Parts: sequence; C-alpha cells; structure tokens
Amino acid sequence: MTPRELARVLLGYVLGLALIAIVLSAVLGLNRKHAPTGTKIVSVWQGGVRVARAVVSGDATHTLEAEAGRGGTRVVSEIVDSAPMLSFNRLIFAACVAPVKDGVMASYAGQTAYATPDDLLKAEAYEANLQLGPTALVLGIDADKVLGLLAKELRTTPDELFQHGKFRRFALKTEKRPFPREVTPSNVKLDDVRYAVLSSARYLARNQKRDGSFRYEVDATTGADSNDYNFPRHAGATYFLARAGNQLRDAHLFHAGRQAGAYMKDRTTLHCGAHACVGQGDEVDVGASALGLLAYVELLNGGAGEFRDAALDIAAFLRSQQLANGDFMHFYSVKEQHPINVQVEYYTGEAAFALARVARISGDARDLEAAKRALSFLVGRSPLFIGAHYFWGAEHWTCQVMEDLWQRAPDETALRFCLDWQAANRNLQLSSPPEPPEYDGGLSRGPFVSPRLTPLASRLEAAVATLSVARGAGVDQKELALLEDEIRRGFAFLLRYQFSPGPTYLMPDPRGVSGGVPGSPVDLHVRIDYPQHAGDAWLRWLELNDVRH
Amino acid sequence: MAALLGSRVRIGFAALNALVALILLVAVFGLLKVRFWGIDLPAAMISLAEIVSAVALFRRLPWAMRALAVSAWITFVLGLILVGLIVLTMVFLRSIHGEDGLAATAISGLIVALIVPYTLVVPAAQLLWLKQQPSESGS
Repeated sequence: MTPRELARVLLGYVLGLALIAIVLSAVLGLNRKHAPTGTKIVSVWQGGVRVARAVVSGDATHTLEAEAGRGGTRVVSEIVDSAPMLSFNRLIFAACVAPVKDGVMASYAGQTAYATPDDLLKAEAYEANLQLGPTALVLGIDADKVLGLLAKELRTTPDELFQHGKFRRFALKTEKRPFPREVTPSNVKLDDVRYAVLSSARYLARNQKRDGSFRYEVDATTGADSNDYNFPRHAGATYFLARAGNQLRDAHLFHAGRQAGAYMKDRTTLHCGAHACVGQGDEVDVGASALGLLAYVELLNGGAGEFRDAALDIAAFLRSQQLANGDFMHFYSVKEQHPINVQVEYYTGEAAFALARVARISGDARDLEAAKRALSFLVGRSPLFIGAHYFWGAEHWTCQVMEDLWQRAPDETALRFCLDWQAANRNLQLSSPPEPPEYDGGLSRGPFVSPRLTPLASRLEAAVATLSVARGAGVDQKELALLEDEIRRGFAFLLRYQFSPGPTYLMPDPRGVSGGVPGSPVDLHVRIDYPQHAGDAWLRWLELNDVRH
Repeated sequence: MAALLGSRVRIGFAALNALVALILLVAVFGLLKVRFWGIDLPAAMISLAEIVSAVALFRRLPWAMRALAVSAWITFVLGLILVGLIVLTMVFLRSIHGEDGLAATAISGLIVALIVPYTLVVPAAQLLWLKQQPSESGS
C-alpha cells in the first residue's frame, strides 16, 4: 500500500464512521429539555397498584378524576420527546433506555401501550444483571420485564411483541416529585438528621417479629419480605437499635434492640470450643459473633445487664480466633469443634471493633491488646506496593476501630490510612453537573448504573469517625473541609432516597416501610442492614456535633 | 546500507508482531475469563498470523514477506472494525444517556487511544514498508 492509498483508506474510513455516528446520534438521541409534545399519560394508583390509565392530547385537568376520587393518587406525566429503540437484539434493546429517566412505548396491531418510569420502577425493570462467567454486569433494563409489562397491556406475548412491535423510549417533563426529595448538602440540618435516624430505627422496630428477629428484606413495591436471614446483619441491626435507643434516649428503640439481642443470646448462641459464638448450623463466622458482641456492649451500656456474661464469653471466643499477625480465623466448625483459617471481607474489622468496645466493659487488657493488633494488621501496607494508592477494600469497620481506640491507643498510621481511604472515596463520589442533581453525593458504581445507598452509608460511618479523630489530631484544615463536604454531600444523597415517605402511591403499605432506606434509586427493597448503616452514620454525625456544641 | 536497514526493520517488525501476539494472547485468553467467539476468534486469528509472520521474519524464510502482508492486512482490517465498533458504541451510549455518559465516553476514548498503535499504526507501517520492498513481498 502506498502512502497515498493509505491516506485514502483512512480518510474514507473516518468520513464513513463520522456519517454513521451523526445518523445514529440524530436518530437515537432524545432532548429532555424539549417543549412538551402535548401527549399526557394520566395514571391512577391505589394500594400500590395502577388501577386506571388514559393517554390524552391536550388538556388533562379532569381526566380520570372520578377514578382518583375514590382514594387513589392521580399522576399526570407529560411527554417531551421520544426516540426509536433498536430492537433487533434484546441486549441492544435493553441498552436503549436511560434508567429512571426514560419510559418505553410499544405499538403493536394498531395499539400503543406505555410503560412510564413509575411502571418500570414498580416492576423493578430498570436494572438487569447479565452474568458473563464469574462477572455480573448491568448493561441496561430488564428486557423481559419491560416486554412482559407492555405485552400484557397489548394482549399479546412478549416474544410476539418483540418480533413485530415498534418501540420508542420517551422522556417526561421534569416535575417536582415526592421521591427523591429535594435535599442539598447545605440544607442537611441536625434536626433533619435526627429525624432520619429516628425514622430508620423505627422502621426496624416496626418490622421486628415477636421472637425478636426482623423482616429481613422488604420489597416496598409489593410489601412482601424474603425468606432469607443473615445473622451478622441481625446483629448489626440490633447494635444500631441499642445505640439509637441509648443516644436518643428512646426506650422503645432500646427495647426493640433488647428483644433482638435476646433472640441472639437465647436462640442462636452455640458452643465454639470453650466459648460461646453466634450463628446457626455446622459452621459459624466470626462476623455474627463480632457484631453480636457490639450489640451486647451497647445493650449493657443501656443497663441490660443480662448480656454481660454472653459478651465476655464471645470476647474470649474472638480472642481465641486471632492469629499471631493480628488477623483472625474467620470461621469455626461447630460440628468438628475447630477454627477454620479462612479470611473474607469485613470480619477482621468487625472483630477488632467489637474487642475495642468490649474492652471498656470487661477491663480486660487482652481485649484492648487484641483490638490494637488487629488494627495494626488492617492498616499495614507495604510502602513498596504502588497500587496501595488505587486499591482499597471496604474499610468502614477499620476506621471505626481507629476512632474507638484513639483515646486509649492512638494509631497515627491508622488515621493516615483512613484519611487516604476517604480521599479515594471522594474520587468515586458523583458530582452534579455532569451527573443528575439527585445523584450528587452518591458513590459511583459505573457510568450507567444507579448508585447504591448502603456502600455509601457504610463509608460515611467511617468518614464521620475519621473526622472526629482528625479534628483533634492536627490534620490540615483543607483536608478536614474536604472530608466534611464529602459527608454532607453523602448525607444529602441518603436523605433524598430515604422513604420519608417515598413514592407512596407505588407501595401497598407505605406505613410499613416508612423510614426505610432502599437499596438504590431503582431498587426499592429495604434489607435490615440498609437503615442500619445509614442510621449509624447519621447517629455518629449527631454525636460529633453534640460534642462540638 | 539499505540492506542493513531493511534487515533491521525486518527484525523490528518480527519483534513487534511477536509482542502484539503475546499481548493479545495474555489479554484475551489469560485475563479474560469469559469465552465469547466474537472476541476469541478474531484474537486467535490475529495472534496466529502475527506469530507465523514473526517466526518467518526472524528465520528469513522465503515467504516471510507474504506472511507479513497477510498478518498486517488481517490486523489492519480487524483493527479498523474494532475501533469503529468502539466509537459507534460511544456514540450510541452518548445518544441514550446524554451527559451521564461522559465518564464512559472518556474511558472508551482511552481504550481507543491504547489500541490504535497495535491495531492500526503498526500494520499500516508494515504495509507501507512492504510496498517499498522487492516484489516477493506480495503486497
């Protein structure tokens, strides 16, 4: 090939590519700031179910008023623009919709059906996991759910609709909605935070069963709860309830924590060698015992003396699991009565935190020493590891240990570690613009995926703990200001999405989930650890600011 | 002097082809845990062509220039397709998500910048060089 031929090939290629790109962009693009087209979708919701729908052109002031008059909620959505969707392949079809913003309309056999953002949120259709070998990727909406929803309206099958239907996505006029709430970092007030803590703790108390366990994961859009259960998370919820009860002097919350603690002590305490441990089955993990111990310590602090023996016994179990390097063996075979030297995420930090806390009650120097050694292990990173600046685990427990030990055994390395980790977290924090305003302060999971609330909440627990130490440790004012800004922006994001009261018209039982913290803007499930982590971060913020004032 | 230069260029291209084949094999068959024919087949084709041409160039086999031409054309054409697909994916996602797709656009742009030297610049240079060689090159 001569240089002239090469130049011709490349020029043709670039021009061809540019032409396809311009056409693709013009055809598929959507202008969300476009003036309304005049088409309005009127929906009436009752008991979390859509009971009526009408699509009108022009004035919709009185459309479906009678239906809404019988205790329903009438929602009018106005279409501002629409664009075709590529439907030659389900994967591409699924990638054609922007989560939370777009609706989908389908035309088939002379009829048109609409799936509004509310419909898609209710159907939990905005995110679908695509399993590629060991990797789960979110590449777009759940095409099966969307097709099912539209096919039902058009009285056909999803496959028939996909083959012969025509699809467009549409954008709606931006209006003030009850969910997410409008919260900015500057209007995160202490009273709001206090209310948020109380309501998240009350969510847990309200969803507690008679035996002290919780409704583990409640789907706010159906009111149903899952049959799964997880003991570390039960213990975490217990810890938060007891802590909230103590700090806010709320006897009702403390009582709920006490019941949840009794459930662990009386029903899920096993023998691991010479000591007690928390869990069920042939094998237990250190996490349930560590968080159980944290909960018992909080309950003891509130005067529930019946947990003292159990707390000291579990502390001994945790110490017996510790290795010479400060780490822990994370499992114990109850069946064969021996520790299992396998490590997973979180548990070392949880065990360290529990031992740091129980040391105040036990007065046993071995507990404090074990916690110090575990913290040193957690924050120890080789200076030769260049990747240390880029790769981080979930260190939210580590930094709470650092804060708890600071007065008794200050660890400068741990403080630097926590400050650096928060700096890394700030790099992942979303900013608006270019992100939508409602996502400002959230933690990025990737460009097209909605941020989740709990990974942020747990990081904020650690961020507040780090701030409280950093303020008294001579850390640079600029770094403190960055940390505080990160916390405020994170809190604003969490408060926006807490069910306070949330999109009540999509819920069959809004009161049941009131105060709950959902998984993400598109995942309206509330698992017990979601309000726990958010609530605990807020609680720490109140504690820090009460001290300051 | 020209023969010496030609010999050096020949060895340089042999080393480059071997390196590209190695990078591709490690990246696609070592690091990527998911098997998908749409990626595996082109990667295997390019790697095979690059290895064959590298060996032929190193050993000065009589058909070395023809092998280099084949590997350069395969890499160049597949490279154009790959870059085109990434660019169109960027445009597609930008059209769907608007401003929210900024980070993905930046990442995709970085990927394009990283692959262009291997998939376009090297084979294009090889094709230009082959044109200047005696007729057995087959280009």
